[in-house]
Amino acid sequence: MGRRLLIGAGIAAAFVLGMVYAWRIAFVDGTELLFNSGWWLVLLAPFAGALAAGLTRRKDPVIDGDRVLRHDGAAILEHWTHGIGTAVLIVTGLALGALFIPSFLAKQQVWAAMNVHYVAVVMFLFGTFYYGVNTLLSWQRFREHLPTANAIKFTVQHYGRLLGNKKYDMPPEDKYFESEKMAYLLALVATATIIITGLLKAAAHVVSIPGAVMGAATLVHDIATLGMLAFFLAHVLFAAILPMGWPMLRSMFTGYVSVEHAKAEHAGWYRRLVKPAVVPSEPKKDRNAA
Amino acid sequence: MTDKEPKQVTRREFVTSVGGVGVGAVLGGLFLRGFLLPDQVLAIPASKGYLLIDTKKCAGCESCMLACSMVHEGASNISLSRIQITQNPFGKFPDDITQSQCRQCPYPACVKACPTGALHADDQNGGVRTVDPAKCIGCERCIEACPFTPSRSLWNFEDGHAQKCDLCASATFMGEKGGPGGMQACVAICPMKAIKFTTEIPVQKDSGYAANLRNEHWGNLGYPTD
Repeated sequence: MGRRLLIGAGIAAAFVLGMVYAWRIAFVDGTELLFNSGWWLVLLAPFAGALAAGLTRRKDPVIDGDRVLRHDGAAILEHWTHGIGTAVLIVTGLALGALFIPSFLAKQQVWAAMNVHYVAVVMFLFGTFYYGVNTLLSWQRFREHLPTANAIKFTVQHYGRLLGNKKYDMPPEDKYFESEKMAYLLALVATATIIITGLLKAAAHVVSIPGAVMGAATLVHDIATLGMLAFFLAHVLFAAILPMGWPMLRSMFTGYVSVEHAKAEHAGWYRRLVKPAVVPSEPKKDRNAA
Repeated sequence: MTDKEPKQVTRREFVTSVGGVGVGAVLGGLFLRGFLLPDQVLAIPASKGYLLIDTKKCAGCESCMLACSMVHEGASNISLSRIQITQNPFGKFPDDITQSQCRQCPYPACVKACPTGALHADDQNGGVRTVDPAKCIGCERCIEACPFTPSRSLWNFEDGHAQKCDLCASATFMGEKGGPGGMQACVAICPMKAIKFTTEIPVQKDSGYAANLRNEHWGNLGYPTD
């Protein structure tokens, strides 16, 4: 826990200091656009994420007394770096002007917002590649995110129950709700699109890229941002604002949920944790998985 | 004697290596760039063409504005013109009419301010300062950065991007080659011959270029030629 706090505090401090520096260097000094002068960090972040993932030894979920380990340190790190990076990117991206709606900013604020966008890009790329490579190393974590044949049925049951319809029972959801799994697909496509088009846009600060390519990249980047915004708002609503998501939010800091919560909300997952051998869909143990 | 099985690279070893080599390559490249390569001086090439306007010849008919929007946008709309003529009904000659054309500045603040490289010196067209609409994100920094009022970089409210005089290099509706060395619609249309294209860097004044395009025929009509 102490190590996790130290790493979290270090990354948070670097991020905040980076944003202050990025804002100051443009808004106060008015001299530097970090996408021009610090392009190398955009290139470095994905490799750093891959290297960090390669060096990480992950813990699988396990029942530990009256609580269940749901998020190991790596899950917490990748979630917050990706999530906070995404939040800042969306805010600065929309402020800079989306889909050719002109910027809401004036004078030096445009460069300052682009500089803050740059800092968030570095954070986002690190977190996303850290997650992506972690996923490459243990496919079962990826499979857990994909919708199953029960997606619609479980979602209707789950939210019907939440809305007070007594004819529905809580379905035996797995580690992730089926509705979350469907939303995950949107986030996956939006993230991949944003990264590809965003790297193109960042590369245009270093090398000459044809206007037609940039025009298409900007348009696709903006549309993907709207997809990401939709996912982000729904995610924040269900995971942080509505009380039903608070145990999970707490787990994103501590790593643990209670056994009662796991039994009530994720009966299918809890069953797998208790009797892993009897679950037919459980994938073969990946020798590379930590 | 048994053959020893060759050691296979695991996925984890592979991605760790890719990450490590990538981090090393980026940092190593920076080191080489910083210590082994000479510093580069990035200069924006001067434009090979400029528009001169004789303020004392201009009659304020706005034909140049209509021609400009027509050849660039395919529509006669003075709000889409890259050259702006404004008239002050209370002003006295020659300050009653103001012509605002881009000066193709040697040190263009608009190019420097653009965060995406959309506003650039066009190497293909004699270094004329121009906007690539496809790269423009609509931040309007160039409009704010232009040291002149009104800004010579303008907002195209129909297509949602910045635009400015490119000496007709991108005048797709003109039917003639534009840009430095080509034709300029405003020069061709002006009934007073008050606009001229030149390749010489004009003398700069705060109020505009010092241009006298009047000849003896102008004097014969009783107008001042000095």
